[in-house]
Amino acid sequence: MAYLDLTIHEIHEALVAGKTTPRELAAEAIKRACEDQNNAFELIIDQDAMAIAESLAEPEPDNLLWGIPYVAKDNFSTKGYPTTASSNSLNGYVPLFDATVIAKLKQRKAILIGKTALDELAMGGTGTTGHRGTTYNPHDPRHERMIGGSSAGSAAAVAAAIVPFALGSDTGDSVRKPAGYAGLVGYKPSWGRISRYGLFAFAPSLDHVGVLARSVSDAAAIVEAIAGHDDLDATSAMIANPKGLPQLEGDVRGLRVAVIGEIVNSPHHPIIKSKFEEILKGLTEAGAVVERVHMRRDLLDAIYPIYITISCAEATSNDANLDGIKFGPSFWGDTYEQAMLKARTNGFSELIKRRFIIGSFALMRENRDMLFVRAQKGRRLIVEALNEIYKTHDLIIVPAAPNVAPRFVDGSDKLSEEYLIADNHLVLGNFAGLPSMTVPIGLKDGLPFGLNVMGRAFEEATVVNAALAVERLTGLKNLRAEGGVAR
Amino acid sequence: MDKITISMLKKAAKAILLDMSASEYEVLAQEFDILLRQMDLIGNIKGIDDTVPMTFPFEAATSWMRPDEPVPPEPASDILKNAGTTLADQIKVPKVVG
Amino acid sequence: MNFEAVIGLEIHVEMKTKSKMFSPAPVTYGAAPNSATTPLDLAHPGTMPTLNRQAVVYAIRLCHALHLDIDRELWFDRKNYFYSDLPKGYQITQNDRPIGKNGYLDVKSGPGMRRIAINRLHLEEDTAMQHHYRDYTLLDYNRAGIPLVEIVSEPDIRTGAEAADYVERIRSIVTFADVSTGKMEEGSLRCDVNISLRPVGADKFGTKVEVKNINSINNVAKAVDFEIKRQTQVLLSGAAVIQETRRFDDSLKETVSMRLKTDAVDYKYFTEPNLVPIRLSEQFVAEAIAGCPELAEAKYDRYIRQIGLSEYDANMLIASRETCQYFDALVADGSNPKLAANWLNGDIAGYLNKSNLTIDDFPIDPSRMAGLLKMIETGTISNKQGRDIFEKMLTEDTAADVMAERLGLRQISDIDALRTVVAEVIAANQQSVADYLQGKERAFGYIVGQVMKKTGGKANPGLASQLVKEALSHR
Repeated sequence: MAYLDLTIHEIHEALVAGKTTPRELAAEAIKRACEDQNNAFELIIDQDAMAIAESLAEPEPDNLLWGIPYVAKDNFSTKGYPTTASSNSLNGYVPLFDATVIAKLKQRKAILIGKTALDELAMGGTGTTGHRGTTYNPHDPRHERMIGGSSAGSAAAVAAAIVPFALGSDTGDSVRKPAGYAGLVGYKPSWGRISRYGLFAFAPSLDHVGVLARSVSDAAAIVEAIAGHDDLDATSAMIANPKGLPQLEGDVRGLRVAVIGEIVNSPHHPIIKSKFEEILKGLTEAGAVVERVHMRRDLLDAIYPIYITISCAEATSNDANLDGIKFGPSFWGDTYEQAMLKARTNGFSELIKRRFIIGSFALMRENRDMLFVRAQKGRRLIVEALNEIYKTHDLIIVPAAPNVAPRFVDGSDKLSEEYLIADNHLVLGNFAGLPSMTVPIGLKDGLPFGLNVMGRAFEEATVVNAALAVERLTGLKNLRAEGGVAR
Repeated sequence: MDKITISMLKKAAKAILLDMSASEYEVLAQEFDILLRQMDLIGNIKGIDDTVPMTFPFEAATSWMRPDEPVPPEPASDILKNAGTTLADQIKVPKVVG
Repeated sequence: MNFEAVIGLEIHVEMKTKSKMFSPAPVTYGAAPNSATTPLDLAHPGTMPTLNRQAVVYAIRLCHALHLDIDRELWFDRKNYFYSDLPKGYQITQNDRPIGKNGYLDVKSGPGMRRIAINRLHLEEDTAMQHHYRDYTLLDYNRAGIPLVEIVSEPDIRTGAEAADYVERIRSIVTFADVSTGKMEEGSLRCDVNISLRPVGADKFGTKVEVKNINSINNVAKAVDFEIKRQTQVLLSGAAVIQETRRFDDSLKETVSMRLKTDAVDYKYFTEPNLVPIRLSEQFVAEAIAGCPELAEAKYDRYIRQIGLSEYDANMLIASRETCQYFDALVADGSNPKLAANWLNGDIAGYLNKSNLTIDDFPIDPSRMAGLLKMIETGTISNKQGRDIFEKMLTEDTAADVMAERLGLRQISDIDALRTVVAEVIAANQQSVADYLQGKERAFGYIVGQVMKKTGGKANPGLASQLVKEALSHR
């Protein structure tokens, strides 16, 4: 019986009861990491992790994270361990400091056993653009299916039960989408809840730290441990963090749920649609009031272009520090500009360059009003429309994606004409900084799919409660990919 | 919006110190066509020009500011550890003119 | 054709906070390269800016002194461009919403004053330092991120003298407010000039030339004067002024072309998303203003109206904050203000000039100096004796009265003792007495001189004179 296959809460019980030890857990996690076939890892931290594990002698009954192994997306700064954001522009970069969330988990005696692969610089949604190549979905041992992104490696590591939780980041859906494809709970609380200090910035006005786990209460517990105001992050919220969310009962009586009609009515696989409706019915029977609401079509259609414009523009600026001078592979030239040009031309993939040029274009003086400023105006109108819904409803619930994990041959990293509302609505949670959680609700041909619960800013309790209710209805807790690795 | 030309894209790339292969500029030009059509969808939003731009997800103003207390700095050897070429505890770059 | 010069000044002021504008790294001067930095200063990924409270306090002081409207909500923008001294690839500044707007400064213009409108004052951060060698440049990030304010005037200035006075007044304000060391030679005060000419009475602006690299207030006037002359010659010859950036060459005392100004660089400004807007409460603003030390103007008024100094003395004192501080300390220690001002503007200034020192390096501290002044004021010693003691005190850290003892320089003010001496001198100089009584005024002076000589110069001259007069009137 591998304790590593359990949820954090269950592992914690076993540790306190002396049935397993941090050393055993860490050793097993590292072993699984080394055997990983899904290309989930940038770096496996073995010696230091074992040393920490071995130093933990006395279990701490009140510390849920004591001795729990975990992984972090490789865009979290980890002191002394190379951190690349899966980009060649940061090859060999060794940070001098820990991200705040990494430091907090260290204090809580959780054990970091590795850094995971992502879409380069977190700017992607397929898990295929990192400099180590494609990360696979553990639920498909044939390696034909993506796990999504950008937190691809983190999702794969948790789905394959290498660790019971992982840190990810979510700018447009990068924790909550792969969670859906991997049968995980993917949770991002409100903007500012969790310090972003040490998270490599992609688009700060949209960036969130997120968590991937295999149960709602696990995810809620991790967020509770790492949330809180941080003096180093000027955007971190002063609002007090709610406590005790993992212990909520999933009581949804009187909860007013909004289902955005235009989103659910857009093309979804019938199995997903019917399972979704089934869950809604279950929630109604449990006392929730579920209602179809309407959101303007012109706003929904603009979600994706608004996201691309704002995120690429902010990203271009954030990544202007990647010039090979202070860190990263450096080059010489006749002038400093040439040196920087070489470093950047060499260090970024073509996809990233195209994104940067798009972002730069949108900010250019002659285009700024028509492109960037308009996108920011669109954001305001969308957020206002969401707030309208939240005047009369406590939650918005929608399917996380229109289908199970796509096959690689069907996807592309190029911007295409075909754009589906159903595929891009999760970014609503980034536009408005709302707490949002993806929860698995079913499987189709062995591939998971989920739904997403989104609440008002700083009302995490409502989101967790509803997610617990969904989990109870589905019984899908601790879903692990069995294919490929014998457990 | 005017038709996007390869030379416009090259200019935009040069402005951010990037260069790409000719075929990548072609890919980008195609992406741009699609993208600008999609960005038109933003223009289609009713009332889009009657509102003001939004940077933050919500009203996030604060009155907190950092107290003026310096922290211990990193030793020069550490802070320069990741740099390419250094000399006399400074980062060395090609001669900067102008 | 008569041209008028249209001049605007952009001044950057380095603020003397303990930590940087958006980084908690220490602010240092002359520290070993890269010894005062943190990862944030080198733009390591994942680092984030936080606003320095004291920098805001300082900026508010300056806004108030320059009569600017103070924005109660602070927003920041990114100014995006690539340069070797800009680690992030952008500078955090305030483009859309400067902390201060629409103010003014009155400057000397000929015999009178003129009001120069100030467009804005905003917060931003300094860049890294570059040291250029033959084939390479070395980067030192100690300076990267040091707090700056930028003060932009409207193009209301018309002459080199006005420009220099504007800069001098800004320098006075930032030093008296204790916000900056205000030293152009050290770079803590930097001035760029924008200057164009147009026919007198015309509305439209001429072609603007930017002049940089001006390292002293005198050179501000020289640079402007030279540019006016140069542009006038260009225009009178029928040519057009080229839009460019020029630098002031200190040895030639001329402006020299540096680079052509092409279309203005596109900085792709947008709101800094890592800094949420900061609300300044009325109390915060009021406390920031109230906490500002007395500025030169206020000191001037106080010295004239309350203390009764002459305009000349007051003007000499307010040339430097440190001199005022020394003066205020003397007065606080009980010194007679007029006497104190005389000494500061006279003997002390003379000593400092000769030795090429500033008042900060003056070896006699205010309380010791006050002791000396007290002795002079009470007549315990004469002014001349005071000078002798002063000379000694410059090299020896001793109290004035102790030094007076040691030199045997007590002024004799004992009336009885002096009367005796007067009587003796009169007895010994009967001829002079007779001369005086016959109307020769000079004989009086001679007798008083003899009294001084007999006391070895220590007699209180005024008293001696009085006693001699008394004695002679009895004849």
